[in-house]
Amino acid sequence: MAHQAHSYHMVDPSPWPIFGAAAALLTTSGLIMWFHYNTSTLLMAGLLSMLLVMLQWWRDVIRESTFQGHHTPTVQKGLRYGMILFITSEVFFFLGFFWAFFHSSLAPTPELGGQWPPTGINPLNPLDVPLLNTAILLASGVTVTWAHHSITEGNRKQAIHALTLTIALGLYFTALQAMEYHETSFSIADSIYGSTFFVATGFHGLHVIIGSSFLTVCLLRLIKFHFTSNHHFGFEAAAWYWHFVDIVWLFLYMSMYWWGS
Amino acid sequence: MWRNLLSIRQVSRRTISTASRRPLENRVPEKQKLFQEDNGLPVYLKGGIMDGLLYRFTMGLTVFEDFLFSYHNNE
Repeated sequence: MAHQAHSYHMVDPSPWPIFGAAAALLTTSGLIMWFHYNTSTLLMAGLLSMLLVMLQWWRDVIRESTFQGHHTPTVQKGLRYGMILFITSEVFFFLGFFWAFFHSSLAPTPELGGQWPPTGINPLNPLDVPLLNTAILLASGVTVTWAHHSITEGNRKQAIHALTLTIALGLYFTALQAMEYHETSFSIADSIYGSTFFVATGFHGLHVIIGSSFLTVCLLRLIKFHFTSNHHFGFEAAAWYWHFVDIVWLFLYMSMYWWGS
Repeated sequence: MWRNLLSIRQVSRRTISTASRRPLENRVPEKQKLFQEDNGLPVYLKGGIMDGLLYRFTMGLTVFEDFLFSYHNNE
């Protein structure tokens, strides 16, 4: 067995990066085929490949860290930088949609009736389900922090309870939001109001689903004893992502649901 | 408390033979032994037969899709 004189992780050659790139190409071109030619074969195949690559790549990261011990403090520091940079890039992604919203809503055109919400649009009552959703996500931020404290204190049972509750709250939010989507009197095609509303909240909802999935993987790992009280970066990364999702919602709620109604 | 937990494990081992019971046993040391075995296998194949099958299926799917992509874009 070779020994290295440094604390970095020299990874084994892996097929997942190139397969992932291929899957991304197939998914994006599949989207085009679906939008313009009404065929979803390529898209389905692309999404399936993406799922397989993600499962196997992240499975390998768990093997390299928990089972092979490659995640030294140096490596973990790099992973922390990486996660922070990724979340920052997602912040910029959402910033774009907020820019679009404010561009159209601060100076509504005559075509919209010179007002915001535009003439004929009945916005959702911000004090109804959206407020409940706000409470749900804020509560889930508390429960995920509770889970973290339980992990650092070595309290396995409590950590499992808190993380399960966090995921349940996330699922509750998703279900309520899906119901709200069904109940709106306006659609994505209803002027720039519909576009900005559904694209921004839609991408947010997707991120809630991604975050819930990430937390679920962490729950499974927690149950399987993967985390120690001072080494559980996978969980921390999931918790950071979840807080990010919560904060985006708060901005969405304040700007689109409340100010924009 | 730990002794109680151990005794529960003893009892459950005697009465039930499936793995799906509380409390769950810590299998991490077994996995650590498996994945640290000096057999020259890369991490994406080191878990067993299923790894190879899943890898081949993913590769097959991706290559097939590449042909599908070329077909759709070169009509």
